Amino acid sequence: MSESHSVTASVPHDEHVGHATGGKVAMWLFIAQDGFSFGGLLLAYAMLRTWSHEWPNPQHILGIKFTAVGTFDLICSSLTMVMAVAAAQRSDKKALVGWLTATILGGLFFLGMQAYEYTHLVHEGIGFTQGTWEGHPINPLFGSTFFVVTGFHGCHVTAGVIYLTFILFGAMKGKYTRGGLSSSPVELVGLFWHFVDLVWILVFTFIYLL
Amino acid sequence: MSKKNDTHGQHPAQVPEHAPAAGAHAKPHGPSTSTFVTIWLTLGVLTLVEIFVPQVYSAPWNRHTKVLLLIFLASAKAILVAAYFMHLKWETRWVRWIALMPAYMALFAILLMCEEYFRPLL
Repeated sequence: MSESHSVTASVPHDEHVGHATGGKVAMWLFIAQDGFSFGGLLLAYAMLRTWSHEWPNPQHILGIKFTAVGTFDLICSSLTMVMAVAAAQRSDKKALVGWLTATILGGLFFLGMQAYEYTHLVHEGIGFTQGTWEGHPINPLFGSTFFVVTGFHGCHVTAGVIYLTFILFGAMKGKYTRGGLSSSPVELVGLFWHFVDLVWILVFTFIYLL
Repeated sequence: MSKKNDTHGQHPAQVPEHAPAAGAHAKPHGPSTSTFVTIWLTLGVLTLVEIFVPQVYSAPWNRHTKVLLLIFLASAKAILVAAYFMHLKWETRWVRWIALMPAYMALFAILLMCEEYFRPLL
């Protein structure tokens, strides 16, 4: 099994994608189509909001400072992820395992914050199809769009944590620290993880701050 | 070539001998740790600025300034993540175009904003 893993092979230069591996091009195509999914949801949210007669100020309902901590946590986990990719590329197994673990913990912390936030909001009366705030009914679309967009992102974080965990198991076996192209699966999970961070930057702006 | 491939598993010390030759083309100008830390700090500072924008421009007549500022800050952060953390800065034009495809949805967003802006005039 490990013999088939050629560590010395270099990707031949391609006229269009340079030295990018097939896996990398495939991951970018996946990210592009996933970006359309998020784009569609954000556009639907924007349309529903601009055509609504009243829309509550998100600043009054959502905890901006609380979520800002989650946003910064995802940014930090992006930094640990690039450190993991760099560790894999220099075949440093110990550092790779450490940085991957830190990235997974960052993702789990974000999910914990989201679970706390959802529980709090539902408790306060913001539901999926209806909404009351401080005893007054509010536009039910506020809760619907909030839970759909942030929930879809939360699913991506969950998927990313599972994906990272599989990569961590491989890293502990030393699969990605054999030099050459053996580190590329770490680079691919990194692309996905940064994309999840990038999307959150946009979601945080459009759902929480605007 | 095939001889070296057969022995790599048993002699990891041999890998550095030919790895730089193979890696030199794959990563022409790889970013360093200090670059990543700088980007991370910049993202943190921009997030801090973002939190204060809605408070400073909370008045209704400041709404357009607030919206434009927030969209600018979010775009700047997204571009930093894509260019540095996702290595797009070091990829070919084709890979960048693939990555840029969903950005065309911004056209619809602009259309929607124009529609909202001019709706009272119609």
